[in-house]
Amino acid sequence: MPETSKIIEAIIISLHVSFIATLFAFSLSIFFGYLIATRQFFAKKYIVSILGSLTSIPPVCAGLIVYLIISRQGPLGWMQLLYTPTAMIIAQFIIIFPIMTTLIINYIEQEYPQVKEELISYGASQKDIVMLMIINQKSIYLTIVLIGFGRAISEYGAAAIVGGSIDHITRNMTAMIALETAKGNILVGVTLGATLIILSLLMSFGINYFRKND
Amino acid sequence: MSFLKLISTFFIFFSISLQARDYIIVQSTTSTANTGLLDILSERFFIQTGIEVRAVAVGTGTAIANAKKGDGDILIVHSKLDELNFIEEGFGVERFDLMYNDFIIVGPKNDPANISNKKDIADVMKQLASSKYKFISRDDNSGTHKKELLLWKTAGLQVPKDNSYLKTGSSMANAINVAVEMQAYLLTDRGTWISFKNKNNLKILFEKNESLFNPYGVIAINPKKFPHVEYQKSKKFINWLLKGEGKQLISNYKVDNQQLFFTYN
Repeated sequence: MPETSKIIEAIIISLHVSFIATLFAFSLSIFFGYLIATRQFFAKKYIVSILGSLTSIPPVCAGLIVYLIISRQGPLGWMQLLYTPTAMIIAQFIIIFPIMTTLIINYIEQEYPQVKEELISYGASQKDIVMLMIINQKSIYLTIVLIGFGRAISEYGAAAIVGGSIDHITRNMTAMIALETAKGNILVGVTLGATLIILSLLMSFGINYFRKND
Repeated sequence: MSFLKLISTFFIFFSISLQARDYIIVQSTTSTANTGLLDILSERFFIQTGIEVRAVAVGTGTAIANAKKGDGDILIVHSKLDELNFIEEGFGVERFDLMYNDFIIVGPKNDPANISNKKDIADVMKQLASSKYKFISRDDNSGTHKKELLLWKTAGLQVPKDNSYLKTGSSMANAINVAVEMQAYLLTDRGTWISFKNKNNLKILFEKNESLFNPYGVIAINPKKFPHVEYQKSKKFINWLLKGEGKQLISNYKVDNQQLFFTYN
């Protein structure tokens, strides 16, 4: 049975990796989501379809893609990213970016036309409109962030392949569940699984709290 | 547009901060990892020398393949033939005997195949080849898998092909899990077996035969072939394992009061 400190380490690694991945994915998905949703261009339909289909990319596939790119033989091998938390962040980013972008595109396409009319008459620039949309409808964006974060922190396969499940460094919650279960320490798997569930419950409650106040 | 600038700054910052590498990567087997040995060795070496050891437990075959692509600094595996080939092909500097233990054959408590009173490994394998008894194979190019294939071969048998021969393609510990579930026979290393917590109804049914000897080797990856490897740090770690405190840690490492790995004198 690993010490509590190792379990806590795994939780911290999971939180760190998935939080940063979600931060990046959220920023980029607002940026690209806004661009795609508010304009008409030739490839729009295809890009939206591709994004949609990428939402269900299997984690191991995302892991494999990143692995091929960052291993020594790959194009970015010189960056020495394999077996680092950064690699895990990149892999999780790939998993959650499509779904967050798709959700934001859907939301903006609904809201933007109405909001735009009103705000442009007040002299708002495009950037202002997006910022106002985010600030006003916090709960929608919070929901999207939570969906992304939830998907990132509970995935197993992507971070495991590119991170290597290294003790203290890249062994996150899901990697530890897999390792300890394989070693027969079922209790650890249950504990960490319960932690994940409690985490998502807490986040859901937080979201609903915000929604009530909107 | 300022969004893009912000994002690209983040990424550039990340990549710059990663240029210096103060850790070494060890490509190793699941048997060394699942016993907890690699974690202990990494921790102690870091405390003593400040050099971080990142050990990846992927199985012998994968470890060797990864090492051949330059994805590591050190190789610790248990397949002597492949290790010697690795050196011959110029991928490694030198092979050292690191430690050893032995393989065992485990199976259901009541031993339906009746292997526990056999003396000859060939007789044991002949029994296990029968479709009446389930046998779990790792089927993953690991050291254990290679040993299993060798045992079939030296007994003069083909690798079984029927439904009683189950290939998991997984780590040692995972294979034990499957064997427990299916109440099947399995070749495992003693180290993983001792440290495995869910043995249930399985017990050791055949052991202490000279064909079940399990030696581990350690090899530094050749800096001439891969200039980016941290050769000096690797040499330090290898010496520490062979002659320094690492050697003591390995032989003192016990789970359930049993020693898992033995060092050479």
